[in-house]
Amino acid sequence: MKILALFLAALLPCLAAGPDVGKGRTMGDPAAPMLFELYSDFVCPGCKHLHENVLPAIILDYAKTGKAYLVFREFPLNIPAHVYARPAAAFAVAAAHIGKYRTVSDALFRNQQSWGLSGKVWETVASVLTPEEQKMVRALATDPAVLAEVQRDVDRGTKAALTQTPTVMITYKLKQQPWTQFGDYSLFRGYIDGLLKK
Amino acid sequence: MVSSKNRILQIAVVFLRVALGGIFIYAGYVKLVEPWQLFAAGIADYEVVPMWAAKLLAHTLPWFEVLVGLLLIAGRWLRTCTVSTSLLLLVFVGLMVRAFAGGKEINCGCFGPNELISWKTLVRDGAMLAVSLFLTAIAFRHRRKPA
Repeated sequence: MKILALFLAALLPCLAAGPDVGKGRTMGDPAAPMLFELYSDFVCPGCKHLHENVLPAIILDYAKTGKAYLVFREFPLNIPAHVYARPAAAFAVAAAHIGKYRTVSDALFRNQQSWGLSGKVWETVASVLTPEEQKMVRALATDPAVLAEVQRDVDRGTKAALTQTPTVMITYKLKQQPWTQFGDYSLFRGYIDGLLKK
Repeated sequence: MVSSKNRILQIAVVFLRVALGGIFIYAGYVKLVEPWQLFAAGIADYEVVPMWAAKLLAHTLPWFEVLVGLLLIAGRWLRTCTVSTSLLLLVFVGLMVRAFAGGKEINCGCFGPNELISWKTLVRDGAMLAVSLFLTAIAFRHRRKPA
């Protein structure tokens, strides 16, 4: 029984990540003991803060050390101020299909204030891609499969009762815990390290 | 001789004291069995105290809740105890109302993580505050007029 539980616990991060997310939106070892699902909205300022100031530390401390498998999930909020969040998510997921997710998401967060207001999402995305990549991403961003991929993330977050972005859904030993407080990274690190010691 | 009305009041007071004490012990216990960082994050989500204060509160508040809960049940230092619970609940309910009215969808932090502030949590904590204020009034009334 204990062996079965251990097997399931080891398997959970892989199952939870699921086949719905391509390799382009993941980081680290899929067999890592912990799963981090990072739900973001490209228009949300808190997500920009997390992406630029906290995420590098999370990658360094957990994804690169094999302690956690990191999955990037889209959660564009359905509010008037975030009208361009969903197209941005579609471009990012499209870019993931050609291995450019991080490049595009970096650009989207870096220029969040300008395209968030002007709506020039494509111009921001295109600025970091070659003409060939631009063609592919532009075509993929309207592909029903890519749009469905974004929607699957949204549905998954809604099902998990997500209330805000950014949220990191932490899955460890069959237990899930959302984490939304990124003002002090040491708090997150202390919590994760404590869990990993258990 | 104690009248039947007074006796019912006395029984009700003891019942409410034990119930409120039990709730406070439970509230402290569920926070203590979870990693303290979860409660600290919950406090920080309210955006009213700096992070260092949230960490300090996360370490101390659950123990304080357990202590006042035990004292309420034991019936010791009742005036101090009931004033403490009333002030605590006043602050908790005030912060919850502020967050709820401001449209914040954050965890209540009342009984461990993952319980969003809602009408239900507001009514529940409001009822606890009413009970606590009642017990405070009784504790001070008994001081002036010993039965």
